[in-house]
This record gives sequence, structure tokens and C-alpha cells, in this order.
Amino acid sequence: MSSTLSFASIEVGQQLPPIEVDVTQQIIDRAALTHLDFNPVHTAIEWATRAQVFGTPKTVAHGMFTMSQMASVIERAWGPHGATIRKMESKFTKPVKVGTTVRFEGSVWELHPHSPGNNTVVVSLKGTDDQGETISVGAFRVAVPD
Amino acid sequence: MTDIERLKTYATTEKQRGFEWDFRKDIAQYEVWDEIQVGQVGTGAQTYLITDDDVLDFNRGALETDPRYVDAEQARTHGGPRIHPLFCVAIAFYCIDRGMGSWIRTPGARNPGQDIEIHEQFEIGEEINLTITHYDKWVRRGNYYMQDKLEYRNQDGTLKATWYVSLLLPKTRADVQRFASA
Repeated sequence: MSSTLSFASIEVGQQLPPIEVDVTQQIIDRAALTHLDFNPVHTAIEWATRAQVFGTPKTVAHGMFTMSQMASVIERAWGPHGATIRKMESKFTKPVKVGTTVRFEGSVWELHPHSPGNNTVVVSLKGTDDQGETISVGAFRVAVPD
Repeated sequence: MTDIERLKTYATTEKQRGFEWDFRKDIAQYEVWDEIQVGQVGTGAQTYLITDDDVLDFNRGALETDPRYVDAEQARTHGGPRIHPLFCVAIAFYCIDRGMGSWIRTPGARNPGQDIEIHEQFEIGEEINLTITHYDKWVRRGNYYMQDKLEYRNQDGTLKATWYVSLLLPKTRADVQRFASA
């Protein structure tokens, strides 16, 4: 395992590489299968046009898919280097309709220097859609190598 | 092509194939906001045995591409596939059936945000049981919120994760029925 990540090397404000996703029905369907969440608001195309749970005739992505992408910002940057997510707090502020392009960004918000083996950082995360509006915010606590 | 036929083309795991994919089908057996008693405790209807296939499929669905997440051979050289932090979601939906906690399947529900704690990483081969507590319910600005505390324990009783799962729900069974039959 690479040793390029250490608590001492992390600074408040440090940006993590963003993730961008074109949310297609295929991506939503795959998320439904992997989460085993088949709520019709995500997968029932005709039903969604009638029910309009979110005021749109389109299906919408799972909130937990949005949350998974926020986690993936950290996983992809730091996961292979020994970081592990310990706590995830998220809020979803706007539904993500099929056909939307979303972007997820994260930056280091807090450093928690406790003791060797117990140091953590909090990463602040935000998702935005292709209209520049916020779809999600989160604060994820991450254990990182000394 | 129906929605179910379309979804079938993506199924790769045994758990997916054996799962009920139509959440509108058994709504009469789901818990409903105005009937739920806060403080009630129960267990998930099923136990989740974590397999390589489950983990690899979840990682692909989360759009991971690193071989340590999605390639069985490569992952093996690193001690097995890395388990995505949101994997606990699949465990919950699998373990919760039509009884305790079934409100998470409600058609017409909306997701306001979630809090999850991972106390210890899940591992391949673990058998995960779910303890479900109806933790809170509240009304805010005309919306009806429900929250359960899900505690994930392995076969040794070790607490692996806790998910405070919250949704905005239709208030009554009649409201749920209206959404389901839209």
C-alpha cells in the first residue's frame, strides 16, 4: 500500500478531486439493483409521470446514490492509501432528475489530532447539478494513517 | 419492455434475483407513519451473508473503477475487494422485509438526508443481523418524518455500523395507497 497519505500531510481547505456523473436511467437502475431499493420513484418510468412525488414527471436518482458519490470523492482520493470513512452525515436539498449532470466536490474542513492511530479529519462535501444548484451537502469523518 | 424486464438485464447476484422488485406489490404489509410506535424494537427478517459478488456488484453500481473495488482477481491480491462505505444500504434493504422497518420501501417517500456510522469495516464472509428501533417520528412544516436506528451486528455480536435512516412519508395507509396506485 502506498504511504502517500498521512495525517500530518493533510491541511484544512485541501481539495479532493471532484466527481462528475451524467445520471442516466441505466445508472439509476444499477443503483436500484445494488442497493436493493426498488422504490418506483426511481425505476417506474410511467408511474413517475403520474405520481410526480417530487413535482416532476421524471424518475429521480436515489438519495443514497448521491450519498455514495459523496463517499466516493473520499474513497477514490484516499481509500487506496489507507483512509477509512467512519461517519457520514448528509442532507439532500434537491431531487436529481434523470438526465441531470451532477458534480461532487470535497475539501478538508476539520483536523482532529487525537493520538497515533486515532487521528481523523472531517471532509465537507457538496453536490451540485448542471444548473449550479446544490443537490446535497455532507460532512464525513475519515480515519487516516499517521 | 416493462420496468421489471428492464431491471432484470442488470441483475448479477443471487440476492438480487431472489428479491421482490415491485415495491408497490405488498404495501398492505408495510408500516405506515401514523401507526408506528416509537420505541418498538425488532430484528431484520433476514440475515445478510456478505459475498465477493455482493461487494463487487455494489462497487460497480457506485461507479467505482479501481480494480481493488471491481476486479475479483486484483482485489484478491489486496486481501479481497474493498467494501464501499454505503454497502450498509444494500444490507438494510435485504434484511428488512415486509414487517419491522418496512416503511423504508414506501412509494411516495422522500429522502431528506442520512446519518451513518461505521464502527468497524464489514468483511467478506460475515453474517450481518439487523436490530431495528423505531427511533423517532416528527412533523415539520406539514411533512411527516420517520427515523429508525439500524444496528448492524456480525455473527459474533460485534457492532459494525449504525444507520439512522430517515424519510418523509405519506401520513396514512390511504395516502400510501394513493401514491402506489397513481
